[in-house]
Amino acid sequence: MNAPKPASPPVLQLEQVVRHRAGRPAVRDVSLSLEAGQVLGLLGVNGAGKSTTLALIAGALRPDSGAIRLQGQDFLEHPERAGRAIGWLPEGAPLWPELTVREHLDAHGRLRGLNGTDLDRARDATLERLELKDLGDRLAGVLSQGQRQRLGLACALLHRPALLVLDEPANALDPVQVVALRGLLRELAANGTAVILSTHQLTEVTAVCDRVAILHEGTLRYDAPLRADGHAALEKTFFDIAMAGRAQAA
Amino acid sequence: MTLLAVTRLELRRLFVRPLGWIIAALALAELGWRFALLLQIFLLNQIRLAALPDGPGYTDLVAVRMLSSFMTGSPLPFGLIELALLLVPLLTMTTLASERNAGTLPLLFASGLSAARILLGKYLAVLIWLALWLVLALAIPVYLAHGATLDWGKLAAATLGTFLTLALLGAIGVACSAFASHPAVAAVAALMVGLALYCINLGAQLAGVNSGFLNWLAMSTHQENLLRGLVSSADIVWFLLAIAVALALGTQRLAAERERG
Repeated sequence: MNAPKPASPPVLQLEQVVRHRAGRPAVRDVSLSLEAGQVLGLLGVNGAGKSTTLALIAGALRPDSGAIRLQGQDFLEHPERAGRAIGWLPEGAPLWPELTVREHLDAHGRLRGLNGTDLDRARDATLERLELKDLGDRLAGVLSQGQRQRLGLACALLHRPALLVLDEPANALDPVQVVALRGLLRELAANGTAVILSTHQLTEVTAVCDRVAILHEGTLRYDAPLRADGHAALEKTFFDIAMAGRAQAA
Repeated sequence: MTLLAVTRLELRRLFVRPLGWIIAALALAELGWRFALLLQIFLLNQIRLAALPDGPGYTDLVAVRMLSSFMTGSPLPFGLIELALLLVPLLTMTTLASERNAGTLPLLFASGLSAARILLGKYLAVLIWLALWLVLALAIPVYLAHGATLDWGKLAAATLGTFLTLALLGAIGVACSAFASHPAVAAVAALMVGLALYCINLGAQLAGVNSGFLNWLAMSTHQENLLRGLVSSADIVWFLLAIAVALALGTQRLAAERERG
């Protein structure tokens, strides 16, 4: 008789993560997990702790307490392995203005351990996939905001990460590019990539996510699969949480 | 090795920015001027000097004096070391402070690299750039080596002293850039720290004191021995220690930034 196959650990697991910024708690006891192929939408009002949570997941910040596990392994004990398994697009897509689009991809690839023909192949495929081929030799400093966003996304995708962390990925994209982005995220999820994205657009969440989490004042107030009645139910839940917080503050 | 990826990225940034080239070109033009003046003085005094037993030659009066003006004793343009005190902070100010300003520093953190590797990668790039600068500066006096008698040993010691000085100024600059929130602040801080370390013993020397802690602490004390052709392991260790302290402080600041955000 065949033994049952052991279930593989979730791609991402946050356990009671706490992080203070500027003397106040920005993330409080956040626990969540994400399986391969899942797309999780992270919602919250401004200052809810979305960007801090994503920066913690991406490894740009360290948690004050709690654990972050990536594919079952402690993130802090294996930072370089974690760096190779995660692709991160920070808010505003920061770039080196003096480097070209191609040089950006090369630099990101090398930082994530790609070299030689692997890097060449990954760079060319990503330029093609994100429709940046014609901009390959253009300096990042002269790109439009939408082009910058696409380049940031390309840098995050280049090394085929198991987990994609996107902070406001649809910012500055035109409607055609937004639709293309949705298609890309669905395709990545279908191929097993776990995606976590933050946005202020509820429509973005209902269009691409299969799970939604709502942060408010640094705590996770809601984490559930997206319901069949989609947008209206999500809007009600979101506003209930946001307005309850305001009423408490008042 | 991802440390080299940081070095490569930083070198690329240094090479494509006009600032590095402008600094290098202006410095080489100034050094060329200094060389012409030193050569002129040497030629004017050549016959008198030839009559002296063990009198100074081309190496002492031209080649080594290209590197530092502390022995010149006349109002000539700056030597390479004095120029470096002013210009290296301009070269290093962007290494980390501009990354912080542009929001790209978290991208380096997210690649999984430790603060030490990020800082060392940046420092290695600055070191390569400064070594190229030194080679170009040395090419001016060495070019005339076929027509003059060069004391290669003395020149090698002086070159080592100059390289260690550049390496220390680079380390101070990178460390200041790790602390500063703006590149201009990093440049001013590196300039002040470099100047202070260079001539902290000035008061003691004016008072006729040539030993003690302040003299040991001063960069010029250790550099002068090497420029005179005296290679001492104590001086080399002092430079390596000072470089290590600067890099350790910079690393600590960078690691704290990742911890505290």
